[in-house]
Amino acid sequence: MDNKMCPNDEYDIDSRHYKLAHAYIPYQNMCKIYDLKEALCKGTLFPELYMPYKKYDRRKKY
Amino acid sequence: MWIYEKKLEYPVRVDSCNPTLASLIIEQFGGADGELSAGIRYLTQRWTMPTNEAKGILTDIGTEELAHWEMIGTLVYKLTKNAPVDKIKDTPFAASYANHGKSPFPHNAAGVPWTATFINSKDDPVADIHEDMAAEQKARATYEHLINLSDDPGVNDTLRFLREREVVHYQRFGETLRIVEEYKDSKKYY
Amino acid sequence: MDYNQVKLLQEIMEVGFALIETNLYLDTHPTDERALMLHNTHSRKYNDLYNRYSSKYGPLTYTGMSRCPWEYIQGPWPWEIEYEKCHWD
Repeated sequence: MDNKMCPNDEYDIDSRHYKLAHAYIPYQNMCKIYDLKEALCKGTLFPELYMPYKKYDRRKKY
Repeated sequence: MWIYEKKLEYPVRVDSCNPTLASLIIEQFGGADGELSAGIRYLTQRWTMPTNEAKGILTDIGTEELAHWEMIGTLVYKLTKNAPVDKIKDTPFAASYANHGKSPFPHNAAGVPWTATFINSKDDPVADIHEDMAAEQKARATYEHLINLSDDPGVNDTLRFLREREVVHYQRFGETLRIVEEYKDSKKYY
Repeated sequence: MDYNQVKLLQEIMEVGFALIETNLYLDTHPTDERALMLHNTHSRKYNDLYNRYSSKYGPLTYTGMSRCPWEYIQGPWPWEIEYEKCHWD
């Protein structure tokens, strides 16, 4: 999908509209998407939600 | 109602015969933060949701969790199907084998059977969706532990897929929480 | 299960997964017209593949039509299939 219409990847958080003692997740704005094969392999259609895990390296201690 | 589709959500592959790994992965089959808990939790909470968006998301994520449960059962099945008993005997899988043979059974990695006390439904959409968001994070953490424990590339491939789904679900529940809060504000009920 | 059947099934899984994603997205963004267009495009594609698969290999759901004997129960079942590795290029 073309990405010309994409808003930038920053999600505006206007603190004036936020209340104390409430949890907020910004709304996603769908824009670019992966092709279908890649989406299934990665576990999401949406690049902005792809947040893979880096496996713990057993040679390192932490 | 539900209709079964004779396919998995993701092509589950396994590269080894590994009853020990199966006995760890069973955590996500019948554990507190596993896929069965997730599915039953979300599907149970639907009745008391105030908005159509929330009813939809709980129905659809709950349904997807049952597909994940099927994938976890498939991992366990494929990891043990070719194991002769003497390859099971000295592994942690033996404890489950004594009762259930090679059938995946909804208990956790320590053998505690699945129970409805793993979930809740409060007739309070904010409390329920907070539980759901926490559940997604706890499942993500469990998948990371399992990836750390597994050396099987096929298994890790599937675990990474399932972990990523937790991230996406968390986002959707976060959006649902805001929809429900906004609805509450518009109705001024507390 | 022969190569062509697995391939077609995995193609259905790919489009089916895109539908899961747009479904969840639309649940919380019901007025996003671009997402709706995308969903509808995938929906059409899914139905085409689904029909192609069922007419060749039997129904994937009990609501489908079947030749004799009842093809729905023919193996392998989903957990028994040797899938192709997930990859893209």
